[in-house]
Amino acid sequence: MTAEEMGKVSRRLRVSFAIASVAFVAVLAVSPVKDYFEEWKRYEKDYVRFAQTRPDTKHLLADFHTGIDQIWLPDMKVVDRCTTCHQGITQASLADSSVPQPFRAHPVIPHAAKEWGCAVCHRGQGPATEVAEAHETTLAWEQPILPTKYIQASCGSCHRGDIPQTPQLNRGRQLLSELNCAGCHRMQGIERPAMLGPDLTNVGNKVTREWIYKWLKEPHVVVDASGNTVVDGYETEEEPRMPQFRLSDQEITALSAYLSSLKSHPFEAYKFDPRVVADLATKPDLAELGQERFRQMFCTTCHSLAVTRGDETKLIGGYIGPELTKVASKVNPDWLTTWLRDPQSYLTHALMPRYQWSDEDLYKVTQYINQKLADPDLLSSVPQLETPTPEDIEFGQRLFQEKGCGSCHVIEGVSPQKDFGPDLSSLGGKNVSQLEFGSANIPRNIVAYIQAKITDPLSVNTAARMPQYRLTSADLDAITTALLSMTGNPSTSGLERLIVPQPRAEFRTAGAFGAVYERYKCYVCHRFNGFGGDLAPDLSFEGSRSQRQWTIDFLKNPQTLRPTLTFRMPQFNMSDQEAATIADYLGMVSQSQFVSVAGENLKQFGSEKAVMGKQLYEVKYQCQNCHTIGSSGGYVGPNLSNAGNWLNAAWIEQWLKNPQALVPGAIEPHRTFTDAEVEALTAYVLTLKQSGQPKATTAAAAAGGAQ
Amino acid sequence: MNWRALILISAVSAIVTLQACHDKGGIAKTDPLLKAYDVELDANDPQRVIPLNYQQAQGKRVFSNTCVWCHAEATPAGPSNRSNVTPTPPLFTDGETLNPLSDEFLQNTITLGGEAMGKSTMMPPWGQTLRQDEIRALVAYIRAVAQPPYQPAARPASQYPVK
Repeated sequence: MTAEEMGKVSRRLRVSFAIASVAFVAVLAVSPVKDYFEEWKRYEKDYVRFAQTRPDTKHLLADFHTGIDQIWLPDMKVVDRCTTCHQGITQASLADSSVPQPFRAHPVIPHAAKEWGCAVCHRGQGPATEVAEAHETTLAWEQPILPTKYIQASCGSCHRGDIPQTPQLNRGRQLLSELNCAGCHRMQGIERPAMLGPDLTNVGNKVTREWIYKWLKEPHVVVDASGNTVVDGYETEEEPRMPQFRLSDQEITALSAYLSSLKSHPFEAYKFDPRVVADLATKPDLAELGQERFRQMFCTTCHSLAVTRGDETKLIGGYIGPELTKVASKVNPDWLTTWLRDPQSYLTHALMPRYQWSDEDLYKVTQYINQKLADPDLLSSVPQLETPTPEDIEFGQRLFQEKGCGSCHVIEGVSPQKDFGPDLSSLGGKNVSQLEFGSANIPRNIVAYIQAKITDPLSVNTAARMPQYRLTSADLDAITTALLSMTGNPSTSGLERLIVPQPRAEFRTAGAFGAVYERYKCYVCHRFNGFGGDLAPDLSFEGSRSQRQWTIDFLKNPQTLRPTLTFRMPQFNMSDQEAATIADYLGMVSQSQFVSVAGENLKQFGSEKAVMGKQLYEVKYQCQNCHTIGSSGGYVGPNLSNAGNWLNAAWIEQWLKNPQALVPGAIEPHRTFTDAEVEALTAYVLTLKQSGQPKATTAAAAAGGAQ
Repeated sequence: MNWRALILISAVSAIVTLQACHDKGGIAKTDPLLKAYDVELDANDPQRVIPLNYQQAQGKRVFSNTCVWCHAEATPAGPSNRSNVTPTPPLFTDGETLNPLSDEFLQNTITLGGEAMGKSTMMPPWGQTLRQDEIRALVAYIRAVAQPPYQPAARPASQYPVK
């Protein structure tokens, strides 16, 4: 090889070496360049620039450091890098809504982000450092950010019982239980009650085939206030619990034939005393007398009636029992009388109390219902139905099983269905790939999926057996929130420790009180030690509050203590013996640990104390702004006109010292009275007695009355 | 051979593009109001909807349990107790009265009562009934619904103590 050749080669070599070097440097540079243009770095720079426009720049930048910021909670498996871009979440001065995202402060919530991370509540991909990856569904991560509108669902994943901070979630849970979703679906925290729909074993004795036909065809019209479609039952607050199923006329004919043939246990019609009937039947205003009694007994605390004022028809009354505007056109009159006398003989789980009826009252009220709460045109749109043929009955029986009626309704001899619909107890935590979207033209996310399944089940699955619900958009969102909260069992032991279980309480007693308690169904409205309804006052500490004689008088003739209340305690016509049993039981058992009735009630209050108390009441503390005595005063608190006969001295004292210790959430402000002021106010309140009220028997009241 | 490769490449890229577009379509459009924790209708203008954040919504909850009785025209039970009280308590939306008062003053008035702050003795102290975070939430709620709207001070005071 000549030297010339050598030079040629080396030049070629040198050129290729140079190219290779440049290429090598370029390849090496890719990574730092890519790193330099990372999305999160841009947000960090923006944050620094933004902080410089704020008045408290120094403090904002003191908390800032460059680089990826991470919340790492090993026992909860939380690795959240959200604060890399969301720099301001703990800066109180950035709470204003004018601060641009992602820098705005997180609203103050009971849980600090540093202890919990972000994705625990907001979902999304915590470790991601790109906007799209963190927030949206990606191939690697299937949990997108939960829209803020449904954020209460995350509270519900740990707080399995209702908390006051989450009204939307609580409403959703309430709807899931009221709409009987538990009939077909298994859900987290929603118990299946003993009775969902009524037992249909004897329904043929109660209603006609025509009524069943109409009810199945358009349930919202039958319970409708006016008998025609003026008021849509679903749009009033009192949604009928029976949803509308997609049934053909032929199927409805068969089902009505089957159900109306169910008459296995005939009832015996009640025989009124002929003297009472003879006496009352001739009265021209019999229906009005019955209506008066109906009102006096406060049936409308549980049942609603349609009332037309002007052009507007509204349902007025409670929602515990069914709406009664047209009930006489629904039920057999003999059945009605038997039911009123003893509801549990027809339906073991009925919530209706067993009233103590005199023949006179029963006759008046049933006559009122039969004459006034009826509409002869109610069933006019129902086609002529022949006597049921055996084929119809057999077809109806098969449909009853196929359509899932047995999930809510019991029929003796028909085996109940279990888990008819899909299990929803971990629906809220499902990934997008686990959801069957079918042919539905909806966004691929869980919120859209849940809402499509509820509003239009057929759009997702053409063979769906789910009935049609018509919910307002607020209710739909509430139900969506509740379903999203059902994320199944927690994935880590760290999360499992955080679960706040649903409080469970059961209050059943035996003996004489137990019998009265069950008979009058006290727990439907009142709460005892955490168990029961919330329509009426909690009676857990009633024995500490009220004097025995007052309780007996109240039970015999309940008059309201708070004039602005719409729902009042019904008059059960209970006997003296029953009222005394309740008063004695409450006095013995329903005691607060903070009130020692026995000792305090013996205290003597001098008359000068009461005079001082009156001064404090009227001048210094001006209690009359909220409480009424006689005919004047405010109506936020209860009427105190008869407080001397009503309240125990020890209760008043403790109430003045700390009302919330006795009734959590009481409106009365907890103030700091001196002990002398407490005694004076108690002495004064005990002197408040209404004439015509029977004299109280407790020692304290006797002492108060002596002044 | 080349043609086949070209078709294959273009088909694959078309599928990838379509898939990408499809995924984009899957992201639900967000309505700004839906981002709010809770909303409330303006008392004076029912057309206007006020979005509330978490703290303001908690304030609304406390308000409708405790304060609504004397500071609103309508209450959950129907009539208001406002007319029974002299001097008449300001309505909760009354921005003209409440906007000039500082957050600290309102919090102190709720906590210690009207008398302690030189206001009406009719306002009881709530410091032992409500928690401090509930009282702060109440002030945040009152600010959100004020009419005319509340304008925070131009330069917020530092949240850190002066050294």
